Amino acid sequence: MEQLIEQLKSQIIEALNFEDMTPADIDTDAPLFGEGLGLDSIDALELIMLMDREYGIKLADPKAGKAIFQSVRTMAEYIQANRTK
Amino acid sequence: MRIAVTGIGVVSAIGMNCTETLQSLLDERSGIGAMRVLGSAHAELPVGEVPYTDSELRVHCGIGDEPMPRTSLLGLLAAREALSMAGCTVDTFISGTTVGGMDLTEQHWLDYQQGKATENIRLHEAGESTQAILSHLQNDQMVNVFTPSTACSSALNAIMLGANLLRTGKAKAALVGGAESLSMFHLNGFNTLMILDHQPCRPFDANRAGLNLGEGAGYLVIEPEEEAITRGATILGYLSGYANTCDAFHQTASSADGKGAFLAMQGALQMAGLQPNDIDYVNAHGTATPNNDLSESAALLRLFGDKMPAVSSTKAFTGHTTSASGGIEAVISVLALVHGFIPANLNWSGTAEGLIVPVTHTTHKTLRHVLCNAFGFGGNESSLILSSQGIDLPAAESRKPVACCSVEQTDDSDVSIYISAAEGRRMTPQMRRIVAAARKVVEQSGITMPEAIICATQWGCMLQSMRFLQDMLDSDEQQLKPTPFIQSTHNTIASLIAIMTGNNGYNSTYAQGKQSLSCAMADIEAQMSLGLIRNALVLEFDEEVEVWDNVLAHIGDRTHAIARATMFVNTL
Repeated sequence: MEQLIEQLKSQIIEALNFEDMTPADIDTDAPLFGEGLGLDSIDALELIMLMDREYGIKLADPKAGKAIFQSVRTMAEYIQANRTK
Repeated sequence: MRIAVTGIGVVSAIGMNCTETLQSLLDERSGIGAMRVLGSAHAELPVGEVPYTDSELRVHCGIGDEPMPRTSLLGLLAAREALSMAGCTVDTFISGTTVGGMDLTEQHWLDYQQGKATENIRLHEAGESTQAILSHLQNDQMVNVFTPSTACSSALNAIMLGANLLRTGKAKAALVGGAESLSMFHLNGFNTLMILDHQPCRPFDANRAGLNLGEGAGYLVIEPEEEAITRGATILGYLSGYANTCDAFHQTASSADGKGAFLAMQGALQMAGLQPNDIDYVNAHGTATPNNDLSESAALLRLFGDKMPAVSSTKAFTGHTTSASGGIEAVISVLALVHGFIPANLNWSGTAEGLIVPVTHTTHKTLRHVLCNAFGFGGNESSLILSSQGIDLPAAESRKPVACCSVEQTDDSDVSIYISAAEGRRMTPQMRRIVAAARKVVEQSGITMPEAIICATQWGCMLQSMRFLQDMLDSDEQQLKPTPFIQSTHNTIASLIAIMTGNNGYNSTYAQGKQSLSCAMADIEAQMSLGLIRNALVLEFDEEVEVWDNVLAHIGDRTHAIARATMFVNTL
């Protein structure tokens, strides 16, 4: 799990163009949206795409992302349980 | 001056001309169905296609095998119909588009990269697709040619500019509207935003699940009433009010309270000197995305309260024809005025909290004033009012604006002072430069909230466009990133500056090749002369893009980067 979390942080930094950030800068349990990283709805779409591309998870409804993307940890847990690759 | 509409022309999935379109509307016959012409891998998505291949459209148009974007083929048919109905010569052609010749670029991209590029690649430019229409109109009287590109509100902005040019004596009669073909590029782009319904779209319905893309073209011929009467023309209706605002909220979403939409509709009413209860029908933008319909409903409820006029979205007939939608729906609004009916909002079965309730069947009714909405990416919101009786709009002598301050950003040395890493993380380096230039000009001029923001660009946001195009072709249209698409539209720059500064004022973009700046200046000059604005921020934007330069090199051309912001003020 810890390995997946670290890998996911790097993938998030790359997908969302946080050029001057490192995985250590992202708190595993901090909210991704609103406070914390301050992501928005475009980022949510990028994260949905990231899960499809990297882990073979397809989300048909963008609203479903809300619960999954609460924090890096909730996202990693969802990926762990649902990944197809 | 009363602005008369003396000609209309339309092509879409529900008809190749006004007669067929009218019949489809009266019969409640939708044009949305399975994809037949566009060769996309996403054939599961229903679309509102014009049911002819490019070759078949050429036969319709009576033109040979010279390359012509589908946007221009559709535009030519509608333009000819409008001109023939008006029976006059126009000196001004204003045609909104965003796709331009992207369909040709995506079909021939591999050839281009293998060195088989010819002069045809110039047709990629939005402005060139307008010129391609013009070249077949047999009109040697044309003085003004403009291509506004504000995504889905492009055509309404074309109509407004035409009206302003008439009112300032810069145009005698104008052909105004927009054209847009389907492309794999924007079908995939909208797909990455997850706002395409896999069923026929359901505007304003509780269970709506997104839009269907469509294609087509719609134009009006507008001229001063006096001229129309003098030459004995039939007047179909009048353009009696209009406004353009920016929601200044988000690049692809509308604000929850529909602020920009409200301000646009309110501005159109104010110009016309009308009250909300004078409006008999609203042809809504109504794309059927969860976000648009809720936001537009909020704006409509705020404007009309409990005296809601009849409202419908005709996008369940035509699909969302993006840059052409304002033109097509303005034509539908004129047909509604002339023939006395309210077109149905198809596929509606139930309401939910916060949504207006549309008219679900085509209903006969005599109409006085129709409000027509078109909203675009970046919050580019436009509304206009078409009326059965003319309303006098003040005319004015034209006066030149003057530049009070200008900054060209040629390097990145101090860009980070003007834009933070977080703000600029999705932007290309050249986009960050134009933001820095804009912020410097605002600072130096002391005009923190310019009344208009207008971008002039030849190629638009080419770096993001090329990224998306390449990814799309490399991946067979799978697993595409949304950000490059979101930032590929020509209006990205002007709307981004408005979003970053909370500016709800006039917002537009011109993509007319090397003439884009003079188009922006003509727009400002007309608006300042009419007292609609007192100052304007003009952004000149283009970026050097290696992959595109490699293609352009075959015809001895290249892109030229520019990021210059200039503040203009009224001479008074």
